[in-house]
Amino acid sequence: MTQQPQTLLDSIPASFDTGPQWLRSVRKSAAEVLRERGLPDKKTEEWRFTSVRPLVATEFARADAEAPKLVSPAPKGVTVRSLRQVLEQEPARLEGRLALGESEHFAALNTALFTEGLWIHVAAGVVVEEPLQLIHEPPKTTEPGVSYPRVLVTVESGSEATLIETYPGENPGQLTNSVVEVELGRNAKLNHVRIHENPGLQVGRVEARQEADSSYRSVVLTLGGALLRFDVRALLQGQGAECRLDGAYLVDGNDHVDHHTVVEHQAPRCQSDQTYRGIASGRGTAVFDGVVFVHRGAQKTEAHQENRNLLLSDTATVHTKPHLEIDTDDVICSHGATVGSLDESQLFYLRTRGIPEELARAMLTYAFIEEVVDRVSHEPTRDRLREAVLARIPAGEAVRGAS
Amino acid sequence: MLKIENLHVEVEGSPILKGIDLEIQAGEVHAIMGPNGSGKSTLAYVLAGREGYEVTKGRVTYKGQDLLEMSPEARAAEGVFLGFQYPVAIPGVSNVYFLKAALNALRKHRGEDPLDAIDFMKLSKEKAALVQLSDELTKRSVNEGFSGGEKKRNEIYQMAMLEPSLAVLDETDSGLDIDALKVIADGLNTLRSPERAMLVITHYQRLLDYIVPDVVHVLIDGQIVRTGDKDLAKRLEAEGYAEVRNAMQP
Repeated sequence: MTQQPQTLLDSIPASFDTGPQWLRSVRKSAAEVLRERGLPDKKTEEWRFTSVRPLVATEFARADAEAPKLVSPAPKGVTVRSLRQVLEQEPARLEGRLALGESEHFAALNTALFTEGLWIHVAAGVVVEEPLQLIHEPPKTTEPGVSYPRVLVTVESGSEATLIETYPGENPGQLTNSVVEVELGRNAKLNHVRIHENPGLQVGRVEARQEADSSYRSVVLTLGGALLRFDVRALLQGQGAECRLDGAYLVDGNDHVDHHTVVEHQAPRCQSDQTYRGIASGRGTAVFDGVVFVHRGAQKTEAHQENRNLLLSDTATVHTKPHLEIDTDDVICSHGATVGSLDESQLFYLRTRGIPEELARAMLTYAFIEEVVDRVSHEPTRDRLREAVLARIPAGEAVRGAS
Repeated sequence: MLKIENLHVEVEGSPILKGIDLEIQAGEVHAIMGPNGSGKSTLAYVLAGREGYEVTKGRVTYKGQDLLEMSPEARAAEGVFLGFQYPVAIPGVSNVYFLKAALNALRKHRGEDPLDAIDFMKLSKEKAALVQLSDELTKRSVNEGFSGGEKKRNEIYQMAMLEPSLAVLDETDSGLDIDALKVIADGLNTLRSPERAMLVITHYQRLLDYIVPDVVHVLIDGQIVRTGDKDLAKRLEAEGYAEVRNAMQP
């Protein structure tokens, strides 16, 4: 049953009467936060360059089924369960794990309103070679519609897995408000790939909570969209944990794509590394904001972040702001950002060898983000991404033909 | 093959080349020698079609066509090759990958079928051996992490792959030790042929001990002040550019 279309804020119920008590209380505080704060406006620092005004007044229809689909077999040691089912049958197992009630606006909205989702659980000491692949099919709602997919990924200690999420989309009026929580036990490893091929609207948050010596590696590929905003927050809570957050994004037409990263160094001897690359053409807008907090007591932190952007048209816009907040001594940190056009001397070099200008430009454009694409270790996915990127850069066809 | 007539070139409004006349026939090797700032690299870039060089007077005819009207890639397609003094690194674009694209673009222009991967790799191995460039380097990103000598050998490897009619070699000897210089000179001597012309630009006579030119030109302050045979290069080495410059004063 599809509910009557409502604005996002109106769709928050006055009270929460179902589900376990702890969840009701998490949802209740989320609702209170939202009623108090409303949705972000241009005075909200984290949303300075991304306006959600088009979303505020829109009445969205809500779809029923919102569970992403697992399209690969779940190997031994991995259980994939419906969140709804676990909440009905063993609610205590999820207590304290589905959080973010008082988090940023949209994650709070998801927390208040999600009805379905997945819990992916990798048992202790299990190493899974083949990736788990999730597809978030957009629900069949009438436009404009909204969905609140929710995923909890628990990788117990000593385990290792790869998760590839794809967010396709066809309906430009469809809003996806997703939350993925990742829990990494001691010495656990997760490679997490997210592919956004959504031409419409999405706000998505990933939060990774990491115990000692765990490793979280995230690659996000965002291939344009009307209004896309993605936040990743990695909490390095145990000694020796590491995270690597990489991303590539392309904007064209009137696309607006915004990536925010937050890395919290809360324990000593953790490492973080971020590489984000973007290509902006047409009248597209790309935003990157990355912050690394090194908290008191997080000695021997090593943190690096880099954001480079290629501006292919005069009418495209890039905002970039990598920054560090360091509250301890004995750290190695670096950050940097660039916005520029194609290198004329590289272009000339290729042309003197007989490469037509258009192909030379396409080669250099693809090379700019290839490094990030290459960090996807699953070969079929990497090949697919290469194709998807080439399909979106000017004369990309020619690069494919030339290889 | 190449005819340069009264060529005047400005860069950002300052005159650099002030009336160059030069004619090269197929099979000939010409050397252009000159001190720093004489306009040697400008001449190389103008012949290859780099932007930012304004031709204010004169013309350049290559195989009967107006060279200056052609795009850099059209010149390459017609057989012009520039060996760079400072080859640029291109991270993310592999050497063999871009060369295959380049070679097949040229072959298409000549009405030949593209080379498949196997034939291409065979050719690549053969040509890389000519300048002792390792297989690993041919596959790496263009010039990324290459030493000075490796970059120059990569230029000659590319030339060998593309088989140009006219090779303009801009200070191919700069930054090379004597062993690397010999490797490059051997490679270039192998590439000499009755159908191919070379314009070897250099500051020092040293390279010309190994690649013996048919004609030597001395370029000073944007003009060719002397033209002679290989002995001119030797005299220049012995007497220095100052002597030649003074000798031409009225």
